[in-house]
Amino acid sequence: MAEMPAPNPQRIVLPPHRERARRPRTVRLREWVRRNLFHSRSGSVLTIITAALLGLLVYGVVYFVFVDANWRVITDNRWLLFAGGYPMDQEWRLWFSVGFVFLLIGLAYGTWASLGRRDHLFIVLASGFVILLLAHGGAAIWSTLWYLIAVALLYAGYAITIRIPRDAGPARTAQQRVVAGLMIAALPIVLIALLAFGGARPRELDGFVLNLVLAPVGIAGGLVIAIPLALGRASRLKAISWTCTTYIEVVRGAPLLGWLFVALFILDDVIGGELIVRAMVVLAVFTAAYMAEYIRGALQALPFGQYEAAHAVGLNQVQTTQLIIMPQALRISIPPMVGQAISIWKDTTLVSVILPLRELKGNADSAIAQFEFTPDRIEAYVFVAVVFWVVAFIMSRISQRVEGSLGIGER
Amino acid sequence: MAVAAGSAPPPSPGTETPLIYRRGVRRLLTQGIYVALTALVIGYVYTSLDLREFGFGFLNEPAAFKVGNQWLTDVDGVTNSRITMYLVGVWSSLRAVLVAIALSTVLGVAIGVARLSPNWLVAQMAMLYVEIFRNTPLLVQVVLVYTILLIGAPLIENVVNVGDFFFVSNRGMALPWPVPDGGFWNAPEWFVGVWVAALIVLAVAAGRLRAMRQERERETGQPQFANRWAFGVFAVGALISFFVLGAPVSMDRPVVVGTHYIEGMVMEPEFTALVAGLTLYTSAFIAEIVRGGIQALPKGQTEAANAVGLSGYQRLTLVILPQALRQIIPSVTNQYLNINKNSSLAYAVLYDDLFRVANIVQNKAGHALEMFFVIIVTYMLISFAISMVMNFFNSRVTAQRI
Repeated sequence: MAEMPAPNPQRIVLPPHRERARRPRTVRLREWVRRNLFHSRSGSVLTIITAALLGLLVYGVVYFVFVDANWRVITDNRWLLFAGGYPMDQEWRLWFSVGFVFLLIGLAYGTWASLGRRDHLFIVLASGFVILLLAHGGAAIWSTLWYLIAVALLYAGYAITIRIPRDAGPARTAQQRVVAGLMIAALPIVLIALLAFGGARPRELDGFVLNLVLAPVGIAGGLVIAIPLALGRASRLKAISWTCTTYIEVVRGAPLLGWLFVALFILDDVIGGELIVRAMVVLAVFTAAYMAEYIRGALQALPFGQYEAAHAVGLNQVQTTQLIIMPQALRISIPPMVGQAISIWKDTTLVSVILPLRELKGNADSAIAQFEFTPDRIEAYVFVAVVFWVVAFIMSRISQRVEGSLGIGER
Repeated sequence: MAVAAGSAPPPSPGTETPLIYRRGVRRLLTQGIYVALTALVIGYVYTSLDLREFGFGFLNEPAAFKVGNQWLTDVDGVTNSRITMYLVGVWSSLRAVLVAIALSTVLGVAIGVARLSPNWLVAQMAMLYVEIFRNTPLLVQVVLVYTILLIGAPLIENVVNVGDFFFVSNRGMALPWPVPDGGFWNAPEWFVGVWVAALIVLAVAAGRLRAMRQERERETGQPQFANRWAFGVFAVGALISFFVLGAPVSMDRPVVVGTHYIEGMVMEPEFTALVAGLTLYTSAFIAEIVRGGIQALPKGQTEAANAVGLSGYQRLTLVILPQALRQIIPSVTNQYLNINKNSSLAYAVLYDDLFRVANIVQNKAGHALEMFFVIIVTYMLISFAISMVMNFFNSRVTAQRI
């Protein structure tokens, strides 16, 4: 310590970490502010300008949200926005699905991750947002209750699985298999709950529910098509690799709107069926091309020694692919896959642009088409943006957790 | 179907491999079955399509519809053919795509650098920007900007007039625009071409001068101010040639007549909304790419730049960004291709891009299959052009060894 140079007033020479930490909080705070906000003259100017901008922004947002905006366009149309043409007397099916998915999220979190303080805060804030929406301007006691039960299920699932010790063993494996199996079965279960046994017809899926159905169908269907596509593109058999490459490049060549155009005008002759089913097929086919590219990238990223080692222990090609290559390749490709999933989630809005299907954004258009709400267009679109943002945020949060628990990016 | 395999073990002497187990035979068999199945699927699709009237002749018939937001074109749609209208739509798409590419690159690099700023507040603001615009649908962003432009901007009756140069209303923004002019010598309109040619010659000469001065700076170590010299020569040359040629260009100021702008360049709210949406959305992705590219650099680069006494700006522009560029270009190219494809969202704000015009043609004339064929070929050609330019740029950047 004796040899420390004389402190330069321009540049702070920091003592070792422990001593820094022991100093009073106010000193540490002041130092933090100086180092991170006012470390040079130009930096200070930048900070002041940014703070002024931020202040303006916050003022604008607060003024818009609490003074200027007329949120009745949302609260009066909440059923329209949420489920639209879905039969109202079958509402319990929607809430059953929501509860089931929430329970699954809780189970998964308890099995592979844990809820931190931020997650609890996020759940509370999001729930507050939903309840405000449900309770504002008219009694929706039952919906609120349903929603609270769903949140309770999330915590119940979490409480069950978090207690099970995570030591490797047959019990742990069984637990992981059960939860993973439930997650794979979730989409069919939800679809059955929504549509089968006197539920709605497919074309009655509407509003936000339609987004929530389309995106998982697109993602799951895309994944199912993408794995053989990626393997086919990497195949040595020329006929197979050429057709797979053509498929991928052609699908990636046109925008999704173009493919929805195909669903509307051309697929009618080829596969027929309801428009919504054709839209689902197109979404899956479209997603598959992008996902196949990510899997192909992961296949190429695998060291060649993996193939050689599998061959050396006497596995045949099918076994190698199934046991050695795909598990690793899928693990590597999780981050870009989640990016693609979020992209598809956002792209479900495109369904209402040229198809006569009305998802959340399409129903927001219907809401502001009512005479009394025509001045409230900005409110409606801001609401749509916020809802999409929240779900995309949840998806990226969960993917970070998955990456963390699978140790992706570590070797 | 299998990914790859090592070579098969050599057959032990004296044993004959049955035909069905031979590698070549198996491959042939697999491919044969595969080709047969694919042919079946394609055959089914082919027979189920309604191809009785297949053909592209309908594109040459008169259009009988209007296409808005034209710029430098004046096509009325009464006498012009459908393919002409479609090409006008392609031109509109290209305009929006090019402007969005330029703006989103600038904004994206700025935000990406800001995310790594030592200034905490700036870094947090940049993160907020990225999180907001990356996680909301582009469609909603475009429509929201469009709505704000329509509701928020004043009506054209109360147009905001900045010195008769710049107008803002909910009919869009109007700016002055250069047009050919007779000038002092009452020259014909094509005379402006002479000036443009002079500018091109000047630009080439300035580039050459810059290269020479840079070369001398490398050899002698004396600062030669290559950029300032090149720019100065170009600016002075442009001014002199402008007056020698008798001022062949004049600025065309916009004027409001009734409820329309005439003359000048008008940026309609549709165009602004589309470009703004594409820019906001894509710049958030480019910012993340730039951040990743910078973070992938070894920390020693920053430290070395600090050690030789570069300022923060010099460190960024001379050391960090040139190296990060190598990592960044392929991903950014992908984003440019996305801008190209996402420009089809023009449909949602009634901007007459190629996709919307194609839809109008399809509504008038049918022929969905042919129209889709035209659409996808156009998008692929534009994507191909973008990739070519970026690959050329990439090879230029990676050609220099670091």
